[in-house]
Amino acid sequence: MGNLLKSEWFKLKNDQSFRVLAILLTTVALLFPLLEFDGNQPGLPTIRGYYLNTVLSVHTDIIKLIPSILAGFFITSEYSLGTMKSIVSSGNSRIRVYFAKLIMFSVGAVILSLILPLIMTGASAIYFGFNEMPSLTFYLQTVSLIAFYGAGFASIMMIFATIFTDSGKTIGFLLLLFLLVDWPLQVLAAKVPFFEPVIHNSVFRLVYDITNASQLNTSEWVTMTLVPLLTFLGSGLIGSILFYKKEIK
Amino acid sequence: MNEYVLKTNHLSKKYKSTMALDKVNISIKKGAIYGFIGQNGAGKSTLIRLVCGLARPTAGSLELFGDTSERALIQTRKRIGTIIEGPALYPNMTAAENLEAHRLLKGIPGKECIEKTLMLVGLQNTGKKKAKNFSLGMKQRLGIAIALLGDPEFLILDEPINGLDPMGVVEIRSLLRKLNEEHDITILISSHILSELHLLATHYGIIHNGKLIEQLSLKELNEKCQQYLHIKVNDPNKAATVLESHFKTTNFEVMPNGSIKMFDPINPPGEVSQTLVQQGLVIEELMLMGEDLETYFSHRIGGVQHG
Repeated sequence: MGNLLKSEWFKLKNDQSFRVLAILLTTVALLFPLLEFDGNQPGLPTIRGYYLNTVLSVHTDIIKLIPSILAGFFITSEYSLGTMKSIVSSGNSRIRVYFAKLIMFSVGAVILSLILPLIMTGASAIYFGFNEMPSLTFYLQTVSLIAFYGAGFASIMMIFATIFTDSGKTIGFLLLLFLLVDWPLQVLAAKVPFFEPVIHNSVFRLVYDITNASQLNTSEWVTMTLVPLLTFLGSGLIGSILFYKKEIK
Repeated sequence: MNEYVLKTNHLSKKYKSTMALDKVNISIKKGAIYGFIGQNGAGKSTLIRLVCGLARPTAGSLELFGDTSERALIQTRKRIGTIIEGPALYPNMTAAENLEAHRLLKGIPGKECIEKTLMLVGLQNTGKKKAKNFSLGMKQRLGIAIALLGDPEFLILDEPINGLDPMGVVEIRSLLRKLNEEHDITILISSHILSELHLLATHYGIIHNGKLIEQLSLKELNEKCQQYLHIKVNDPNKAATVLESHFKTTNFEVMPNGSIKMFDPINPPGEVSQTLVQQGLVIEELMLMGEDLETYFSHRIGGVQHG
């Protein structure tokens, strides 16, 4: 497993799409706060307010959409390039191959998901003069949850990136899925009472509660942390079974 | 010690209604260069994919280095190097980076093997050039370099000389021969370029419509493809006596239809015809015949197709 992880980490580091996405997000994180210096604004926002209203307002889109692009290039392209054939015939079990890839893809997804909360917050703090910083507890709570949910969504993406063998199809499907999935899930929860608790306690719904981290009670915290973890394990299991049975073409 | 690197037992693979591989029994001895011949869609790649674990057989079994269980086969595949349906490369990486990704995957300690392998295939001077900018020949050589990482005992090469220029073909041929002779690597090679395969392989397997129709050694193939003088005269028995007494040879065969196959290549057709005529025989047909691998393969496939 160690060999597989090292190899996947090497590939992630050298993946052009990962580098481009990371550079784009970093550029946005560094430049976006400068818009607050627009002359029409009455004054500079506090860092706490900026973190809550600007940085965390886009985190759900970043977690769900940006790693979808990485999934297409980092995972599905292994099929179209033919490199998956040499990985599978390298003398490693398919389950290990799948989980090594899932772990490193999740690492990539988490890195991309954390660029805005880390760099944008840091940049805004410097630009706005460290004016009213968010509490360290709240900041660490939200950053940890973003990492957790990033990994949870990555494990769902990995299933579809394994089913498709064309990067374009994977990216297109995942972007559409994550852009539109909330509406059918809401309808399903409303129409079928059996699904209601499942959907309300899924990563798709709970990801929106990250901004409320400071107001969660203990049981809500347990749910908030366990759900992405179970999603990661469950999706990993489903994906690895699919990969085990898949004919590599 | 196991004499065979690969053996299959009634190996079959069915895709919906198509029988891609039908009860194939193939055996590859250690140290052999096994030329795998077949038309497109004959089942070559299907068999290679089953051996490499990319697909599972519908029926039958395969034995790799004596191992048969699925768990053992996974481990045993560490002893093989592969190129399956073209070289598998990361286009945005350099040659050395491509090898590094595969070195880490195979768990090979030390980076020395990368330079050594690049030198072996003549790609040591590619520097920072990315694989996507390589010529087809360079990509093929990098694919072979990846297959060679970790000193495999068995190389499986599916069309490794596709797209190579004549010099590239010669280089790859001599490299494969060197690997086979000096490093004792067994090689399974499938190729459409039969003339090239004939210069390299020590054993052959001919597959058609998913069925292995023949397996033979180079010696057996040469015997079957041997050049001979086809002679048809009015009296074959007398002709046989003349050939034996005049040319001091018994290396000929009288066929059931009365024609004679004379295998001795040192006797020119002109001299044979002159001698037979001088002995009062009437020559109905006399021609130099023989087959190369290409015509032999065509006849075998044709025989199956029309048989």
